[in-house]
Amino acid sequence: MDPLIMIGAVTVAGVLIGGGVHFIPVGGAPAAIATATGVGTGTAMLAAGGGMTGLITAAAMTGSPLWLILAAGAAGSALMLAVTMLVGNWVYVWGVGCVPVSAKVDTDPLTKLPQDKYVTPGTEGHGIPTVCFVSGVIGGLLGGIGGGLAYWAIYESLVTLPAYIPLIAGKASLAAAMLAGIFALGLFFINAVIASYNIGGTIEGFHDPKFKRLPRGVLACLIASLVTGLIGVLLLMGGVF
Amino acid sequence: MSVAAGGGGGEPAVDPKKLLALGLIGGLLGIYATPINPILGPLLAALGAVCAIVWGADAIARVASYGLGTGVPSIGYMSLAIGIIGVLAGLAGGIWIGPAYVLLAPLIGLILAVVLGGVVALVGKRVVGMKIPILVSCTMELAGASALSVLGFSAAIAGSYAMPAILVSVVSTGFIGLLFIMNTMAIQHPFNACLGPQENRVRTLKLAASTAFFAMTIVGILGIGYTTAWWVIAVIGAIAWFISIRAFLQASAEESASVAWTGWWPEEEEH
Repeated sequence: MDPLIMIGAVTVAGVLIGGGVHFIPVGGAPAAIATATGVGTGTAMLAAGGGMTGLITAAAMTGSPLWLILAAGAAGSALMLAVTMLVGNWVYVWGVGCVPVSAKVDTDPLTKLPQDKYVTPGTEGHGIPTVCFVSGVIGGLLGGIGGGLAYWAIYESLVTLPAYIPLIAGKASLAAAMLAGIFALGLFFINAVIASYNIGGTIEGFHDPKFKRLPRGVLACLIASLVTGLIGVLLLMGGVF
Repeated sequence: MSVAAGGGGGEPAVDPKKLLALGLIGGLLGIYATPINPILGPLLAALGAVCAIVWGADAIARVASYGLGTGVPSIGYMSLAIGIIGVLAGLAGGIWIGPAYVLLAPLIGLILAVVLGGVVALVGKRVVGMKIPILVSCTMELAGASALSVLGFSAAIAGSYAMPAILVSVVSTGFIGLLFIMNTMAIQHPFNACLGPQENRVRTLKLAASTAFFAMTIVGILGIGYTTAWWVIAVIGAIAWFISIRAFLQASAEESASVAWTGWWPEEEEH
């Protein structure tokens, strides 16, 4: 594959990952004690869960057409985040005993259910209400597509090189898959953390006022991913040993 | 969410320049010593990675004292991601320049990681608008420390710092993913566990040494089948871990107001 296409794919992938993180309801430490809406952990943990699952499902499709790899990555990441949010909600509802409710909007933009009446005074909502759940799944889909795209671009570039020739069953190269996987994972973490710096740690989803910072986060991820892609070209150039 | 970290740029108990020198020189010396002897070389590479982890733990303590807003682990994961990308690209790049320049490969990897770390931190400062004065320098240090820690442990497992050997025994086996998470934990955990108004940097670094030696022990076990030095690395790592975690626990007990045993909870629930 042409190195320029690889750089372009990695840049687009980084933008998709960084943009996707803005959709995910990251609640951080306040959500861990049910005093804020969202999943009670930081972006890095959600990126680890969603990103790795997406990369594993994308890598399982190695050798398939591009759209299948992207779909597999998107399904894996979105599914992992959906399960995380669902099980988190079980803990909030039946463990903590609070209603999933958002404090950022008066009525849920999707279900039109009233929110403000159910927010415990002194808190910023609890659990993962419908709008946050849908937003999180969209974020997982975007992130998974990004991860799959980066994996596909690097794998397809590496697998043509003589150094990565030993193929499993004449189809896939383990070394190329691992190298592409770890590179895509690194890209995932870099962009997830930059996006999380942009949102200041916590966000509820696309209905959150902080979501307006998306263009700045996308620009930041674009620059960082472009440089990452440029460095990644060395993998292809040096792969001829 | 904001990290309730103490200090915020106060006078550090340990000179950061000394730790930088320890991590940079110790790490590079250890990695370059890998080929000297099949037993001693991998051991020195693993010890070099330990030096780099202690340096990284100090750098993360300095930058996270300002309160990143995203928790301490996030910058740890990010710098390890930068470090791994830099190291793999650098090792491959050393081969691209020519076979005579394989010796330069670890250095190229370190420089690439530091440059990428600088770019990401500049983006964070200029585009995103982070207000941490030492963000750029500390992220560059962290990226360098991460790169050296991954490279050192990889060289210890593979018994060589050349890309083909590392590709076979570290990347293809998937150990690189384990090194990613394990080194992140070793670098970010010490400050994440010790932060607060009474944080004592010497105590934090004792914990950093223990996490680093624990990682080294695991690396020794990973090396079974790839290097004859695996048991030396594992045994020395385990002994050093015991010494450092003992020192950390003693320091914690000394600096606490008191250590008391609360007893078990009552037999019957009180209503």
